[in-house]
Amino acid sequence: MEDAQPTAALSGQIVQLDRLDGSLIERMRHEALTAPAPWKAEYGDFQSGGWWTTSLMNASGDAADVRIADGAARPTALLEHMPATAGLLAELGLNYMWVRLARLEPNAFLWEHRDYDELDQVERHRLHIPLHTNSSAFLVTGGTKVHMGGGRIWRLTPTYAHGVCNLLGPDRIHLIADVYADDAYARLAERAQEPAEAEHLPAASEAELAERLAAARRLADLGYVEAAEQLLLRLFYSYALPEGTAYDLIAGLHTALGDSEANRRWTAAKSKLLALVP
Amino acid sequence: MPTALSLAPAELHLAELTEANRPAQLPLLTRIAGLLSASPAVTHLLVRGSLASGTADRLSDVDFVVGVHDRDLPAFTSALNDLMTVAAGALLPGWRDTIVADLGGIGFVFLVQHEGKLQQVDLYIAPASQITALRRKVGGKMLLQRPPAEITTSQIEQAQTHVAELTARPRSCTELLIEHLVLAVLLHKRIQRGQRFVAYAEWHLLHTATKDLIKTALAPTSRFWGWYQLREELVLTPIGRACLADLDAAITSPAVPAAADVNAALDRVIVLTERACPNALDGLADALTAYRTYLELA
Repeated sequence: MEDAQPTAALSGQIVQLDRLDGSLIERMRHEALTAPAPWKAEYGDFQSGGWWTTSLMNASGDAADVRIADGAARPTALLEHMPATAGLLAELGLNYMWVRLARLEPNAFLWEHRDYDELDQVERHRLHIPLHTNSSAFLVTGGTKVHMGGGRIWRLTPTYAHGVCNLLGPDRIHLIADVYADDAYARLAERAQEPAEAEHLPAASEAELAERLAAARRLADLGYVEAAEQLLLRLFYSYALPEGTAYDLIAGLHTALGDSEANRRWTAAKSKLLALVP
Repeated sequence: MPTALSLAPAELHLAELTEANRPAQLPLLTRIAGLLSASPAVTHLLVRGSLASGTADRLSDVDFVVGVHDRDLPAFTSALNDLMTVAAGALLPGWRDTIVADLGGIGFVFLVQHEGKLQQVDLYIAPASQITALRRKVGGKMLLQRPPAEITTSQIEQAQTHVAELTARPRSCTELLIEHLVLAVLLHKRIQRGQRFVAYAEWHLLHTATKDLIKTALAPTSRFWGWYQLREELVLTPIGRACLADLDAAITSPAVPAAADVNAALDRVIVLTERACPNALDGLADALTAYRTYLELA
């Protein structure tokens, strides 16, 4: 197996920002778990199922409108039920493009992908505030695994290929704010720090990859093709792999199974999810 | 035959009430059945236990007999852990069930997260050639019955050999640790239901699993059966003596445990594992955390 391509320093991809008051986070968590949120499944191509979002601020003001786009965000009706959350968002004073709650169920994945490709070419940043999480929920970016712990703001640069999982649960709920760069953001970003706990994933040996490929083939031969694909997609969360390897392995599996149409589909999926220029 | 519902006056809206009272495990049962039946190798799906007899409560497990074409049985059992992890969200690899009766196949118990709760999914994998005989011994509701492609004598023999080998294979320390985790879930269920006799029996199984874990880790070549000569084999080293003390604490606990006794036993076994065979915990840290979280939420 060739080595993973060197990527930008981790601090360019994910950093810790300010700590937040613990009691405020508890109130926000309570609001997130109890508010009458219209959770929507969107971005189906990017996920395993189990990724639900609901909007707190967006251009339409509709909480059920969750496909992000450029614009000036205004509060949705849902945010009216969440005074502690609304208070923090106001206090931060950022120029919000979109603010969402994102719920990732147990055994759910956002596959390796890049974001923002479809948006205007302006400087924007993605902030995460974990409200309800567990140790099996983590982000992988640049072959490094980062569990975004609670109690602080994080900044993710989603134009790097990344993926998120919640292996075992319970639900992981984050507040995600996409914000335009301005002075308020610059002040917040001044306090950026490398993640305190980041784990470099191991490179996959040829034997390990061969064993996982054989396991996928066994599932596919039994008729569990979707499980075989997901088994290979999950490699991204266990090993530092060159970008897009999981998609290439799936395409290769389908070639071996004699399904050229599925091969084309996964090759196209790789281009779309990783925003590769054709 | 008219049912109670069909005899009810039409103006009574009972459908919603019926829906509200359906077992919470039914969506999980449906999901697992849909998953398993996607393979043409699966010839039969039989639901057993309280969900088949209509006596389920919120603690009931989901209990399937899965008929698999004899030709595909080895591949199916090899793929089962991956399938249940990836597609069903099992927390841990399946525990090879040593409680289930021998019906010509092999049983596995998986712990699966479902709607925020830990649910037990029992899968008894049986060669298709054994299903007719099995049906004479066990009740249940048949969900799926596909006529299997021709089964040859050599395929039957191959499946039987595979089952015998799997059944006879010694369990690793990791498998024995998982056995403790599954038995603890069963015990909490017995305790909540007030099933004291069953709790007594499963509590003894838990202690036996602890003994097996210690022997597998520290006396893997022991020539002695069961509990015999345990002290003599283990007392020579500090680790052995500490494990004997743990086992002593286990067997002097109440005959019928309370929930706190089960939790204490689990804590003891995890410490014992760290001491005697720490590699058995490799890759299980998050699963143990999730397991404890779900038990607290139960």
